[in-house]
Amino acid sequence: MELDLFVRYGPDLLRGFGVTILCWIAGSLGGLVLGFAIACLYRWSIRPVRWVIEGYVELIRGTPFMIQLFILYYGGPYMGLVLTPVQAGIISFVVYGSPYFAEIFRSGFNAVPKGQIEAARCVGLSEARIMRRIILPQMLVPITAPLTNFIIILSKETAILSVVTVPELLYETQTMAAETFTYIEPFLVLSLFYWLMVIVTSWLGGRVEARVTRHLKRT
Amino acid sequence: MTTQTPSATAEALISVRNMSKSFKDFEALRDITLDVNRSEVVCLIGPSGSGKSTLLRCLNFLEAYDTGEVRLEGELIGWQEGTAQPRRRVAAGTLRRQRQHIGMVFQQFNLWPHLTALENVAEALIQVKGLGKKAAQEAAMAALAKVHLSDKAQNHPANLSGGQQQRVAIARAIAMEPRVMLFDEPTSALDPELVGEVLTVMKEMAAEGMTMVVVTHEMGFAAHVADRVAFLDKGRLVTLAPPADIFGREPDDPRVRSFLQTYRERNVV
Repeated sequence: MELDLFVRYGPDLLRGFGVTILCWIAGSLGGLVLGFAIACLYRWSIRPVRWVIEGYVELIRGTPFMIQLFILYYGGPYMGLVLTPVQAGIISFVVYGSPYFAEIFRSGFNAVPKGQIEAARCVGLSEARIMRRIILPQMLVPITAPLTNFIIILSKETAILSVVTVPELLYETQTMAAETFTYIEPFLVLSLFYWLMVIVTSWLGGRVEARVTRHLKRT
Repeated sequence: MTTQTPSATAEALISVRNMSKSFKDFEALRDITLDVNRSEVVCLIGPSGSGKSTLLRCLNFLEAYDTGEVRLEGELIGWQEGTAQPRRRVAAGTLRRQRQHIGMVFQQFNLWPHLTALENVAEALIQVKGLGKKAAQEAAMAALAKVHLSDKAQNHPANLSGGQQQRVAIARAIAMEPRVMLFDEPTSALDPELVGEVLTVMKEMAAEGMTMVVVTHEMGFAAHVADRVAFLDKGRLVTLAPPADIFGREPDDPRVRSFLQTYRERNVV
């Protein structure tokens, strides 16, 4: 193990880790918000809008992330959309994640018994209040695990952003490997970084799940 | 309690006129006309699929009736007044205001499981009635006291028996001080030994003068608490009469007779 290599490349790796985390968190949050909006739109709109949404979901889920990223980053300028690699990375992440998040939210909506919503309407609660107080807290019970799962998957998909020269973790690691002809150590360290992201996410997901299911415990 | 059949008058609290409802090709309700007077208890009985629950759900527009009228204190429920066809729904806010005056209790309780009993009752007091948190909690506690559950206020539904959950659901509805309470088979999902505590609460409400429309299979309750009993079959209102006329002697209508026969065989009435 050549530790001095890591002293030399450490700052670059850490900076790459920072970019990875930025793209991952911004992309996940954006995907969550867009996915939630899509799921809401699907729930409350007329049939033609639903068809458009179904088409969007099938299109994005049916194509590889890397192709979507290429089209946005290399094809964007032809449509007047010039983006930096990081911008393209985050936007494509948001777009790529949104249909998966939307599907998770849609299943969450369906998991809340209709009778509870009727009961809420019967006492005169507004639809917005029903969403915030009745549907959201309850749909979190079945969807926390799949949301955590998908955010974990996304953390590792950030590696693909290196193909459009986003200076993220894999990109920096490859640079290090190419310049020093060492491969095992850099990629082991790289794996460690991803693993760190995954265990933190999975721990957080567990905490959220414990919080949203505590009312189900029998005492 | 009134035992004579009240005539259709302007003072009826709920007035249903020639109301019909279809689900696609299935005619669930046909030409229903029915008045419910203030402080009256009307039980809806009949075979399953006869339209009892649908009728109840049309009263607060959980189902939009197709033709005819449902009025609460003279106000048309759900649809805009006027002769324009097709009719247009009232604004969402108007429907919410109308529904506030109509309490509803469901077969499956439909409590919100992530909220405590107290929070279930207080939620609409805060959001709909605009009470402050403290005032809402006091009003919610008073409602829970009425259903004899003061000691369970902090329990989540998962830690309440079915009968207790249903009583919380009743408290949630009466806390809004509705003009009428609708019950959709309130004891059908309960273990037999828990039915009594819910019926007791309902009897107390009736004795206090609450107007109630109750879909039920509890013929004992219908016979002893109802002022009038409506028998539905295949979406039609077959009979509307004081319980004595339905349970006390052999009913004239063969459909009522055969329906009650199944209960008589089990010695329920």
